[in-house]
Amino acid sequence: MFKKLELKKHAMTGISYMLPLVVASGLLIAIGNLAGGNPSVISDYKSSYNIWQAAVSLGVFGMGLLPAVMGAAIAYSIADRPGIAPGLLMGMIANAMGAGFLGGMLGGYLAGYFVNYLKKTIVVPKWAQGLLPMMIIPLVSSVVIGLVMFFVIGRPIAVASASLTHMLNNMQGGSKAVFGAIMGAMAAFDFGGPVNKVASLFADGLLLQGVYGPEAIKICASMIPPFGVTLSWLIKRSRYNKGESDNIKIAFPMGICMITEGVIPIAAVDPLRVIFSCSFGAAIGGMLIMLLNVGSPVPSGGMFIVPAMQNPFGFLIALSVGSIITAILLVALKKDAKEKIVDEEDVEEEVDLSGIEIK
Amino acid sequence: MLNNNIDINIKNKKGEMYMKIVGIAACTSGIAHTYIAKEKLIRAAKALNHEIHIETQGTIGTEDELSTKDIKEADVVIIAADIKVGGRERFKGKKVIDVSTDIVIKAPKALINKIQQDLGL
Repeated sequence: MFKKLELKKHAMTGISYMLPLVVASGLLIAIGNLAGGNPSVISDYKSSYNIWQAAVSLGVFGMGLLPAVMGAAIAYSIADRPGIAPGLLMGMIANAMGAGFLGGMLGGYLAGYFVNYLKKTIVVPKWAQGLLPMMIIPLVSSVVIGLVMFFVIGRPIAVASASLTHMLNNMQGGSKAVFGAIMGAMAAFDFGGPVNKVASLFADGLLLQGVYGPEAIKICASMIPPFGVTLSWLIKRSRYNKGESDNIKIAFPMGICMITEGVIPIAAVDPLRVIFSCSFGAAIGGMLIMLLNVGSPVPSGGMFIVPAMQNPFGFLIALSVGSIITAILLVALKKDAKEKIVDEEDVEEEVDLSGIEIK
Repeated sequence: MLNNNIDINIKNKKGEMYMKIVGIAACTSGIAHTYIAKEKLIRAAKALNHEIHIETQGTIGTEDELSTKDIKEADVVIIAADIKVGGRERFKGKKVIDVSTDIVIKAPKALINKIQQDLGL
């Protein structure tokens, strides 16, 4: 049942549509604040305003749109085009009620599944066929799910997000460090895979609530694996064979752009040691981010957005320490590489393919 | 990014039937896994002497779009995606396999062999 709902795929579609918007908005806010000295958001367009105010205002527009884009993309993923209109509206409700990202996601799911239900159940005479997608589905789904959002689920989600935000903002010492370590380890654990995406979703959601620490952890933990591996290669080249060395040379520049995936070929050869070393380094990095109060208003962009962060120097410290720890662990734990005997293309991981059906 | 289309049109050495495969790759962030998955599928198919064409739907948009001819001639459609892909209606009446990019990256050859077996080609 749950598998059939494909909840994860829809959430991933939502994230993939939302990412460019959140990057643009976050950067606009960061650049405007940095260059313009925290300018105010434009409130009256009839009086004069400057370019930095314009940048920050545009960024704020973008951030406000995120729940709507998230909701629309999720509903689109579930119900195709008819999902977009109600999905956008549910996201707007979520944003207005303070239910943010989470509210937008939930509204998107509800809108999408409800549209699918309507598509299946409503039967209209032939002459009214055109009205179904144009009027009946958008109206009925918006009204029904909209009322549910306004009167049933909006408020509890708003309260829950507010208390989560409050809790994270008021974390002290020990719990802060533990939170940072867990986030960091999760974000690095599978090099951009599903576990990383869970951590990433959580960080993106909090960004909307104005909590910037987890976003910085995510960025840091995405860069520690490629940097750590590169550093360990520089320290002791004998740990890697020719093929791996070539991969590292590609993984490093990818790492600068915050793409962790370059490490996958290296982890594939020796998964346990590489994953452990990377996650451990990233956990330390995450911990430092929290303790040094580093925050990032931008969710993606790697080294290029470091200047836009809160406490960029702290970020660099966390990144370096995490990478060095990863490198030391790799050098200590990994065995010297044998020159490759088998062609790597022939080595495949054991994957259970029995569940795959041809439709 | 990674842009080499490999089209081959020969029976393999043992004279076994080869398949014509088309497919789509798409991942969440749309900048890395999408292209790794494409590359893996193409290399695996080439090694197994199948003909393949993969379209990518990354954040940049659709690249290497499948032609109507490719789709029409294809024995099977592999959709390696973590997100909703666009243009599924093109594959109406085709045999379609849905997998995550993860599976394609980890075991592309095993997947293609399984498909060939299941199709009895």
